[in-house]
Amino acid sequence: MSILQLQGLSKQFGNTRIIRDVSLNIEAGEKHAIIGPNGAGKSTLFHLITGRYSVSSGSILFKGQPIQNRPPFEIARKGLARSFQVTNIFPLLSVFENIRCALLWSMGYKYSFWHLLGKAKALNTRTEELLIEIGLQERRKLPAGELAYAEQRALELGIAIASGAEMIMLDEPVAGMSHSEAKNAVELINRVTAGKTLVMVEHDMNIVFDMADKISVLVYGEIIASDVPSKIRGNAKVQEAYLGETVPEDEHA
Amino acid sequence: MLKYLSWALFAIALIVLPQIFTSILSVSILNQMCIAIVFALSYNMLLGQGGMLSFGHAVYFGLGGFMAVHALLAIENEEMMFSVTLIPLVGGLFGLCAALFIGSFSTHKAGTVFAMISLGVGELIAASSLILVSFFGGEAGISADRTFGPPFFGFDFAQNIEVYYLAAAWLFLATVCMYLFTQTPAGRMANAVRDNPERAEFIGYSARRVRFISFIFSGFFAGIAGGLFALNYEILTEQNLNAVTSGNVLLMAYIGGLGFFIGPMVGAVVLTLINSVLSNYTDLWLLYLGLMFVLTVMFLPRGLTGFLMMHRTPWHLGKLHLLAKPYAITAVPSAIFVLALVAIIEMSHSNAPTFNFLGIALNPDSFISWGALLIIATLAFVALRKTLPSLRDAWDTANTIDTKPQERT
Repeated sequence: MSILQLQGLSKQFGNTRIIRDVSLNIEAGEKHAIIGPNGAGKSTLFHLITGRYSVSSGSILFKGQPIQNRPPFEIARKGLARSFQVTNIFPLLSVFENIRCALLWSMGYKYSFWHLLGKAKALNTRTEELLIEIGLQERRKLPAGELAYAEQRALELGIAIASGAEMIMLDEPVAGMSHSEAKNAVELINRVTAGKTLVMVEHDMNIVFDMADKISVLVYGEIIASDVPSKIRGNAKVQEAYLGETVPEDEHA
Repeated sequence: MLKYLSWALFAIALIVLPQIFTSILSVSILNQMCIAIVFALSYNMLLGQGGMLSFGHAVYFGLGGFMAVHALLAIENEEMMFSVTLIPLVGGLFGLCAALFIGSFSTHKAGTVFAMISLGVGELIAASSLILVSFFGGEAGISADRTFGPPFFGFDFAQNIEVYYLAAAWLFLATVCMYLFTQTPAGRMANAVRDNPERAEFIGYSARRVRFISFIFSGFFAGIAGGLFALNYEILTEQNLNAVTSGNVLLMAYIGGLGFFIGPMVGAVVLTLINSVLSNYTDLWLLYLGLMFVLTVMFLPRGLTGFLMMHRTPWHLGKLHLLAKPYAITAVPSAIFVLALVAIIEMSHSNAPTFNFLGIALNPDSFISWGALLIIATLAFVALRKTLPSLRDAWDTANTIDTKPQERT
């Protein structure tokens, strides 16, 4: 069953059409990567799905329900979580508080001003577990803004997965990381998204072809191919539009 | 454990202070402090905790206060029968109602939009308070008598000291409630929304709703402060809800330190003292207050409390004593510089032919007085600059962990 269906999705800013008539089905449990050259509209597509941008036309169905043009917090409550390309955490709150805040809604606290956080045992235990899972338990008291870059990325991921969402969207999770940091991050992502639907944008092709069950190629706001990695590798259109320019040796051959 | 200890100390201080400072003036200053602390804490629910810069917080203080005076009048006219000890609650509930209405549209955005709406609403209410005479009493304001209600365990609140203990009890209760609010999901999400409203939306929270909740609580506690003001002074005027009062509470919270729960309390105490004590000595106290605010913003962005908290690391390292000498050395030229500057400012303000400053006779018309003060100020400033590097070094040493302490003998 498709967990996410995009039907004829378009987005314009003024006269510029950033996303053009995108239709895509993502199956539950699938690891789906979206690739494409810079400026192809990958982040815009993420923002449309998660409610940050309004949709110009078309529809988005999550678990069969339309979610286009709904505010981000409603979409998040339905079980669709995301991370950001530019680290987007709560810089003055401690690492512990960052994760705890991300857990609050899913654990049913809503806007409560009659519960004391210090006494919420299940909540605090779950926060500790998550901190261990993302490897930041040593840093729990530090303000999140003072973490090193790779640690902030781990926290970013931790905030995204904390709610236990069924579908997780990661926008360039390993961008700007060193080789070893990226390797750790990929392991972490695999571990925490096991059994869930993962959609990610990533530029590192090794990681994409390694992790993804399915790859969609977005060029100038249009999906030109969506298939399993082995078929994408052999797809002439993709090679011409995208992979060709990253492998300059081919041009001389 | 430490937490309960500090609450106990707070309660003891509230009980004991008027027994130490017994004069009528000091009890009246203590009353002002109680009111100011509740008001400043309620303001910090917006600015420090929720990231909402308000230029119109006096609206909720003033409206609560006016309603409290009307409640006192109702008791006086025997239209209602309840103890005046509950008057602050009347103020609080009315502040809450006002905040419910105004917050419903003003908390849509934080930042400049929120600040401008708060300024506009503040001006609007202050202006209409002069027009709507039946509720606000025009320029004269409205007044009432707090002694008419049924006595509370034999107290009729005719004495200032009785009002003090009532205000202190409300202060303690309000402080506990506001502290507990910071420990709830709504309070913590207020911090999260302050830090990053966008991300808060992606973890399931409407930033607007989170701000709105903080806003109505803030209005409630500001109203309680207004009710305490009504009890203490028995009169409210347009001054209590205009921009000056709003600006004053901003100064309290900022000078005290926005990032700490006790910051606004410190600020409220310091500003009340400046307000009531310094104004006895000089007409220019507002100028000094302004200078103090500018200097705080420039050099102590985390306020007076932040400055004190900077000393936690040296204290934990057991190196606080290393700072004593450099502080003392810097303090001497600083004090001389400040005093010379104050003398210059006061002398330029003075109309009298001779002017007495700290027992030194100065002549505003004489070149010698001006020259001497300028030379002293300049020399002190140069000396101050010279002491700073050693202070900085001492600060660095005091904040560094000794790596090999066992090798030193």
